[in-house]
Amino acid sequence: MNLVEVNHLSVSFPDDDPYDGIEERDTIIRDVSLSIQKGEVLGLVGESGSGKSMSALSIIRLLKQTARIDGGEILFDGKNLLSLSEKELCDLRGLGISMIFQEPMTSLDPVMKIEPQVAEALRLHFPHMSEAEIHQRVIKVLQDVGLPDPQAICMQYPHELSGGMRQRVMIASALITEPKLLIADEPTTALDVLIQAQILDLLKEIHEKTGISILFISHDLNVIRRLCSRVIVMYHGKIVEEGETLRVLDHPRDEYTKTLVAHTPRVQTRPKDRVLLSMDKVTIYYPPRSFESSLFKKMPLEPYVFDASLTLRENEILGIVGGSGSGKSTIGKVLTGLLGTYDGNIQVFGSDLKEVLKTPERPQMIFQDPGSALNPSRTIGWTLMETLRSGLKARRKNETEKEMKEQILSMLREVDLSEEIYDRYPRELSGGQRQRVCIGQALLYDPEILIADEPVSALDVTVSSQVLRLLLSLQEKRGMSIIFISHDMSIVRSICHRLLVLEKGRIVEEGDTETVFTHPQHPYTRQLIAASML
Amino acid sequence: MKKWTLSRIWEYCKVHPKVFAGALILFVFLILSLLGQVWTPFSVTKMDPLSVSQSPSLLHIFGTDNFGRDVFSRVINGCGITVLVALLTNLVGGGIGILVGSLTGYFGGSFDQILMRINDMLLSFPSVLLALLLISFLGPGTLNVVLALGILFIPSYARIARGEVIRFKDRDFVRSARLQGVSPLRIIFLHILPNARISLFTAAAIGFNNAVLAEASMSYLGLGLQPPTPSLGRMLFEAQSYLLNCPWYALFPGITIILMILGAALLSEGLKES
Repeated sequence: MNLVEVNHLSVSFPDDDPYDGIEERDTIIRDVSLSIQKGEVLGLVGESGSGKSMSALSIIRLLKQTARIDGGEILFDGKNLLSLSEKELCDLRGLGISMIFQEPMTSLDPVMKIEPQVAEALRLHFPHMSEAEIHQRVIKVLQDVGLPDPQAICMQYPHELSGGMRQRVMIASALITEPKLLIADEPTTALDVLIQAQILDLLKEIHEKTGISILFISHDLNVIRRLCSRVIVMYHGKIVEEGETLRVLDHPRDEYTKTLVAHTPRVQTRPKDRVLLSMDKVTIYYPPRSFESSLFKKMPLEPYVFDASLTLRENEILGIVGGSGSGKSTIGKVLTGLLGTYDGNIQVFGSDLKEVLKTPERPQMIFQDPGSALNPSRTIGWTLMETLRSGLKARRKNETEKEMKEQILSMLREVDLSEEIYDRYPRELSGGQRQRVCIGQALLYDPEILIADEPVSALDVTVSSQVLRLLLSLQEKRGMSIIFISHDMSIVRSICHRLLVLEKGRIVEEGDTETVFTHPQHPYTRQLIAASML
Repeated sequence: MKKWTLSRIWEYCKVHPKVFAGALILFVFLILSLLGQVWTPFSVTKMDPLSVSQSPSLLHIFGTDNFGRDVFSRVINGCGITVLVALLTNLVGGGIGILVGSLTGYFGGSFDQILMRINDMLLSFPSVLLALLLISFLGPGTLNVVLALGILFIPSYARIARGEVIRFKDRDFVRSARLQGVSPLRIIFLHILPNARISLFTAAAIGFNNAVLAEASMSYLGLGLQPPTPSLGRMLFEAQSYLLNCPWYALFPGITIILMILGAALLSEGLKES
């Protein structure tokens, strides 16, 4: 029997460009029909802007005020949700349908202790319940979501808990009224890899124990595969494919689904023997934050990465993996010169790193978030021109404005962008286009060593594999060496020659990618691999 | 990039009426004050014993003062001086303030701490008091007023510039410029500050207001522009003895100040919203 039935739903938003003077509406969801059975875990996948979150929000009727439902009906347990009054809806939210969100920090109230937050729905919906009973229920649900020592957690504030614990608290407060449907909107995206696996296991366990229906929204196919029995693929506000998870992911019929599940490209090059870069027992410190030290009180430096040794050979892609806070980005910062506080010896091209950083051969970097890596108030052309100019200055070369522009345009073509991009502002580009610009920008310097810090983790799946493909082809063409920092084991597996595993600032494992994956030595490596496996 | 054609500007104004109204008011005053420098219906300083304290008429639309001078002529001429003083003051204060603020914000450290404490010290005095103190050292006069007010405006500009620079200096685009070896000054002025333009422009509009008011109050206290230079504040001061007999003498300079401030306030608020 169907718990939820959505028939021919269409939702539109007002056009967001106020300058053209014409009132238009953008249809975000077009004619979407879906059903969720009792006790089913349904996955909803699609890239950002595909309308997957909007579909879920319209089921629980939490769309923005400006959104308008243009047609269709939403049945929950036989009742049409679109004809309910606000009061009836409030009863339904919490009692019938609960929701958990992506960011556990912002969805918990920072000034409220955990117990009242978790108990809030109970108090609202069961006003006659006694305090003792409420407390009992809270303790029980906190236990159910696997939180140790629930008594103590009740009295804590959200900031005292880790990200994973907060997400567990969110799940607890969603489950306390025993709803029939749980909508989970990217609940693991903001979490660390290992924690992500734990939360997924928890949701699975809860589902098996209580038989609750779950609508699970994600852009991550591995996550969907792990949890959902059926999956719906959305693209541009429409449902393009629907079916059993394994069937859809392994034998997709729709063209878009095919690109979605297409495998990440594989590295084709072989590294050469010449060592370009070597770190020998390097300990890296972070300077204290400015509010901690003042004019009169100097704080000591804090070590963050301990005794790290690594080598990078010519034409090699070296992966550095680890959870958040493991210090993997820190190594990248030191190698590019963004962080200068370290002990130990780092040799690049046979001379000391500090010397190399003064030359134009210094390693270049690709940042994680292409949104913040480009100056929002400058055109792409200006930004690239600036890069090229400082590169030429460092090499003591002179070129005319025209030659420089020609060089930039050919770089744009090299990263598969059209020349029109030159006069655009970053906000006019998509995430994938921006990341291509950033890659082009790093390459304008013609570096031999490129450091890529999570270059695709802010991008959609399909865009991400295109960008990786570009990166690999450029690596092959130019013979660069890349240090690829990532938390995503499946990407690392297919594009890196060698791997380095970092845990809490220490290198715990190092080796050829395939060896590490097939014979992991350290327990942390095994955990990481298990968390990413299907 | 879309071009700012006339029709597009018109669309923009329809969406942001505050910007439009503010810009219009300031534009009218700018034209009037420019006009006031080259031509006025009557002489600004010449006294006319035959037409003392006349109420507004077709000939003297703002009336005349106790010396028989045409108030309209003095207002549009005084406007020009007031606007000039306000602009120069903000140029001095904004120039130094933005320079100091962005440098300390970017480099941080003890340099930042010390300069910002001096900044706090300046901010903790009532500004008019401090200006009076400076003027009593420097002596009254147009340039000295500009200098004194300009120094007073440094801290507020420095604060805003520092805050904006700190907000942007850890963004990846700044890091990436550093990686390419762009010099710190170039990073501050060409990479970071263009992103702070809205805040700085708003600050300038508020600063303009404060300068108009401060100049008026200092002239009112007799420490600003010296007679016979017509200044709006000075006129208010002189008109105060004739408030009951010829209210227009005080009324029109007062309204002018209010309108100018309204214009700049509307503009800054509209820009902040857009």
